[in-house]
Parts: sequence; C-alpha cells; structure tokens
Amino acid sequence: MGMGTDMDMGMDQRVVAKKNVRLSAAAKYLANNSRDGLIAASNGLNNFLESNAVYVLSGVRPMGESAVVVDRDGRSTLIVTPAWDAERAASLSWTDHTVATDDLAAELASAVADYHIAVPRSLSVGLSLLGSGVVARIEAALGVLPQAADELARDLARIRTAEELKAAEHATWIAERGYEHLLECARPGMREYELAAELYCFSKKLGAEDNFLLMSASQHNLAVRAAGERILDVGDIILSEITPCYRGQFAQICRTTAIGEPRPVVRDKYAILQDAMRAGLEAGRAGTTVAEVTRAINGVITEAGYGDYCRPPYMRVRGHGLGITSDRPGDIVDSNERVLENGMVFVMHPNQYIPESGYLMCGEPVVVTDQGCRALSAQLAQLDVIPV
Amino acid sequence: MRTMQPSVTIGSYTWAQDRLPSDEFELRLGDVHAAIERNSWPAVLVYGDVRDHGALAYLSNFIPRVRWGMALLPRSGDPRLLCAMSTRDLPAMRGLTWIADVRSGMGPEWTKAFDPWFEQLKLDRPVELGTLGFDLMAPVLQQAVRHSLGEHFTLRRADDILAIPPQRKRPRELTMMRASCQLVETAADRFVESWRNNGEPETAALDAERLARSLAAQDVRTLISLDGGRRLIPYAGRFEKIAGSLVGYLAVKLAGYWADLFVTVEQRPSAALRHAAGALDAVIAAVKPGARAGDLFATAAEALGPYSLHPVLNGRVGHSIGLSLDEPPHLCAASQTELVENGVYALQVGIAEAEPGNVIVSAIVRNTPSGAEVLVRSPA
Repeated sequence: MGMGTDMDMGMDQRVVAKKNVRLSAAAKYLANNSRDGLIAASNGLNNFLESNAVYVLSGVRPMGESAVVVDRDGRSTLIVTPAWDAERAASLSWTDHTVATDDLAAELASAVADYHIAVPRSLSVGLSLLGSGVVARIEAALGVLPQAADELARDLARIRTAEELKAAEHATWIAERGYEHLLECARPGMREYELAAELYCFSKKLGAEDNFLLMSASQHNLAVRAAGERILDVGDIILSEITPCYRGQFAQICRTTAIGEPRPVVRDKYAILQDAMRAGLEAGRAGTTVAEVTRAINGVITEAGYGDYCRPPYMRVRGHGLGITSDRPGDIVDSNERVLENGMVFVMHPNQYIPESGYLMCGEPVVVTDQGCRALSAQLAQLDVIPV
Repeated sequence: MRTMQPSVTIGSYTWAQDRLPSDEFELRLGDVHAAIERNSWPAVLVYGDVRDHGALAYLSNFIPRVRWGMALLPRSGDPRLLCAMSTRDLPAMRGLTWIADVRSGMGPEWTKAFDPWFEQLKLDRPVELGTLGFDLMAPVLQQAVRHSLGEHFTLRRADDILAIPPQRKRPRELTMMRASCQLVETAADRFVESWRNNGEPETAALDAERLARSLAAQDVRTLISLDGGRRLIPYAGRFEKIAGSLVGYLAVKLAGYWADLFVTVEQRPSAALRHAAGALDAVIAAVKPGARAGDLFATAAEALGPYSLHPVLNGRVGHSIGLSLDEPPHLCAASQTELVENGVYALQVGIAEAEPGNVIVSAIVRNTPSGAEVLVRSPA
C-alpha cells in the first residue's frame, strides 16, 4: 500500500497540472492550424486499447456519449450524458464548464454557438466512434460535421505526464497485488469465473476503477480468453492478463501459472519468452522504432526454432499501447514504424503459442527511456507454481 | 439505468444449450424470416456492440465482450457471424453462438470479410438488405459495410418494423429471467447485510458484486450514493463510512439476461420510504396486459404526490428488461405503448428531496392475465 500517499494529490493540483498540458495543447494546436474549435467525443465504451478523447481533455470517464468543446482561446465545455451525472462530472472535470444532458446533439450546438465556433473551420475527434444514429443527430444540430482529426487526442497525450506515470505505476502495483491474490486463491476444483471474480473485486478494493481481465486455464492452452465455467485441475496452466485502470491509466501484466509442478518442457519454453522479453526491454530505447523492438523479440523466438509461430493465430501482437489516455505507440508489430519517445507507456508481451507447451504469457507495462524500456512492475514474469 | 461501461465483461459466457437449444433460435428467427419474405430481402444484417446487443443476442446468442459483432441472416443458406476479435480468439467465440460460420472482423482484411457472403446474395438488379441495430454502428464501420455491398445492395432500416427482441418474453426467456431475478435478490441482500455491518456503501456494493460474480454473473453494475440518495455515482474507490441511509443500485446479468434493483435502507423506515413503497405497490397493481405505459406513469405520479420523481429515473417509472438492461417501452408520461402478456418490466419509483432523505425502490414483474407477478422486489 506504500504508494497511497503519493497518489493523494489534491484535486486542485491535478486539475491545474492536467489543464495546462492537455487543454492548452489542444488550443495551441487549433491556433497554429487556423482552426476555430475542436469537438472531442466519446462513446462511453472505455475501450482499453483506445484513446478516450473526453477523458484526455476533461479528466472525466464518461458513462454515456459525451463530448468536450474547445475553442482556440482555450475555453472549454464538457457535455456528458445522462443528465443526472452532472455533479460527478463537474466535480472531476477541469474544463471551464460542465453540462449534463440527455440530448448531446442539442447541447453541442449550444456550446458551439456560445463560443462562436464556425464548424466548417473546426476539427473533431472520436465522432467516428459514436453510433451513426447519434452522429446523424449531431450533424443535423450543427448543420455540418467538423473535419475528422481522430489522431489528435492520442497524439497530444502520447507522452504520459509525471502524474499519469505515477498513476500507471500504481495501476501496475495493483496488478501485481492482484496476481499475488490469484496465487493465494487458485486451487483445483474452483471454476474459472470464481477465480476471476476474486481477482476482479480484489483489484477494485485496491482502487482499480476498471480491469481488462482475461483469465483462463487448460492443460494445453491455445490462447488466453475470458474466464468460463471450466473447473481448475491439477496440471492446468492458468493464463492471466491482468489490466487494472487507476485514474485513467491502464497497466497490464501477463502471467503464467502452473497448478502443480509443470513438465520440464514448459519451464524450458517459458525461458524463451523471458529471453524475448529481456531483448525487447533492451531494444526499446527512445529513438528506435516499434518495428525494431518487435524484431528483437521475434528474433529470440525465431532463434529458438519457432519463427513460423510468430504470426496469428499463434500470437497476436508483441504488445500494444494502453488507453484510455493514449494508445500510442500502437500495436507492437513489425509493420509499425512509429519512433518510440521518452515517456511513452505501453505493454510489452512476447506471449506465444509453442506446440510443446501450449500458449504461454509473459508481459509487463513499460515506459520508454533513453536506456531502453523500463518495466513498471517490481517483479518480471516468471513461471509460477501453485503447489498441490 | 446508465452505468459505467467496463472495458471488458469478465464473467462466464457460453451458449447454454441445455436451456436455449438450437430450436429456440429457429423459433426466434420466425419473425425475421417473415419480414424477409414480406420485403423480398435476401437477408437481414444484425449489429450489436458491447453495450447494446439485444437484437444480436436474441437471434444469435452472441454477446460481444468487447467492440462489436454482426450477423448475416439469409433467406436461404447458412447464417454467418462477424466479430471484432482476432483469429486467435475465434475458437472461444464459436462457443458463444449456434451460428457455425464465425469469422474475425479484425486485421487488415476485415473490411472484406463479408465480400464472399454478399457475393452469394447478388441478383441481376440492386436489392435491399434489412438491417437491425445499425444506428449503433460507428460511421467508419458502416462505410466499410456499404463499400462491401457495392451497388448490388441498398440497406433498409428494419428496426421499426421488426421489434427484436420482442416485448413479450418467450417461455425459455422467462426461465432465464427468473434465474436473473433470483441472483439479483441474493446479491441485493448481501448489499444490505454488508452495509449494516460496515456502513461503507462502496464496500457493500463490492461485496454484492463479488457474490454475484462468484455465482456466475456475466456482468455486474453498481451505483451508490454518498449523500443520502440525492445523487448516484459509479465506483469511485473511496470506501468511506457514511452516516444515514443506504441508497444504491445493483444490476446483474446471468446467461445473457439482466435483472436490477434499487436498494434503499434506513435505520427506521421513513415516511418517504413508506410513501415510495406505496407508489410502487400502486404501479404493480396497475400492470395488466393492455395497460398503457403512460397510464402507469400517471398512476405512479399520483401516488407519489406531493413528492416529485427522483431525477435519476429520467422521467420514467420503469421499462422492459431482458437482454438489455433498458428495453422499450419506457414507462414515461407520453408513452401510448401497451404492455403485453408475458412482458417483463422493471418498475422503479423514487422520491427526491424528501424529509429526511431520498429513496428509490423497484421491482421486476411479469405481466400475466391476472396482473403482475412480482419476480423480485427491493429488500425491505
């Protein structure tokens, strides 16, 4: 619980810090590009692989469809649905104004009019993610839709602020405690969903507002999946992808756990993933590309004789960005030529299906530095064993 | 009730063939096939996302855990399902639906996934395809679908001519709803018990959630009040002790079907709570096949007087419930919709700014020829 004090920064301090960074950056971008305003929308679905533009610009995780309107002078209004969420949103938002409504389109038109924003000279983020019915109503209310600039929010937020990095570290701390809890709780005879319930609620008790949790078990896994009704058994390999969210920062650890001593071949193959992880951490220096990091990871697995398995369905990606602030640098794949920058946060996971062992998981949230990627977790993944 | 949407639903999903065998879906598809015949459509496309998927789940049993899913239900031939999951995840996805042909809607080629399917439906002239749930679909996805359809097909919105899922629950659905109601009752009791033990609304909500999830709930949503029921908020991670009454909301989803309850617990039941309970009784008593939704609202409003309806209820005193937490019809003042036999409705009554506090209570009922059968009601 040692990080509790660090995270107890008062709301006023956090408001000032974030407002300076995100809203100011958006206003500056508008001014530099001779744009009147920005409409940043969210569908309220909280996809952990995507940037949530409303969260980026307001600090509010919305329950329903919502939007932030910013003009080039930096004036800003948050509009959330449903109407009864007004006070919560206003207490959390660092926009100048907060409005709660059941008619997003009408309130958007009102805010745009208040700021004298010419919609044809404006930009939008996230409208492409809303349902087409809502978008049609917004278009009718505004007369025309702003030009889409869907990369803007994720670009503005691609480098974590010091406070966001602290929150990501705390989310990692929750994930690691959650995994320890899994090691204590998991036992033969338990259903997967019972274990998932324990883990999910335990992380909420520690402060996680969300958790992208996949956790499943098999004698020979093909992939990780969401928990089902399967009963845990001796000899199972439990795969867990534990992804708590703390103050808007998702952090993911990927772990592999054997119930009972695993066959030696499982330990041998797991060591390949650990080597690949170390290669990825070392390669991930600021200035290198995502593709280079991917090749470093795949190189280890190829050298071990599994180059043919470095593709779906034997794996998906070697990691990915983490919403809801910014999902930069994107998927860790060899076709991604994005250059890593100091302060980017993503999960690196050389998770891999290997015929002799089944699917194995090994992953850490990392922050990019000049010396390579630094894992946010205190303990790198190892093959853990639950004694029986 | 609108609640915070989680990034993924973690609970146990499967196609429960012992409770919903494939003949159930043949029966459910009857209305769709009739519409196909009436309109000379070669197929209907059904879309749903992680939050709103009532039509898709009703017809396919597929519930997206993340992102979206889309089914193509043809007049003849086999149905198909496209889900926004990677190929790695497809074996698990195939276990969630009776549809055998399940494809990935992710990766660089996803926009072409329907091409061969549409190819088989082409005629020598442009034809219409019916659509369900396309209002929920993001424009970028709609564009991809339209591109795939080319000039051979136009889309015809079918949501207004095909009420899917229907207001009237099928017999097997009623069985599922009873199980969901039983689970929410069990979890609500834990909510209250925990609150009485520790006085922390968030701990109580989390205890209820843990219990429901351990009993196979696929999803659990909670809202609590930290100010005596004046406003409800989603999880905030504060775990504070709060003096006074407990006001909260709990929804559980079991085997695809939702049940929800408001919870109001006072040290000694106040006049406001008794008043709200009386208003709920009045609404329950007014439920019968053919009753108009607007009349139920009027009944509640009259019984609530002189108090006003709690704003969290959004000007309604309930709605249908089932595969979606909030299905039409909504029991609001202007609604002329008639309630149907074997419809299942969440009835919700609340009072704001009463002395000494705010209260919200609710029940879920089945509409029978002899009136409402109460499936579950807020704990006393």
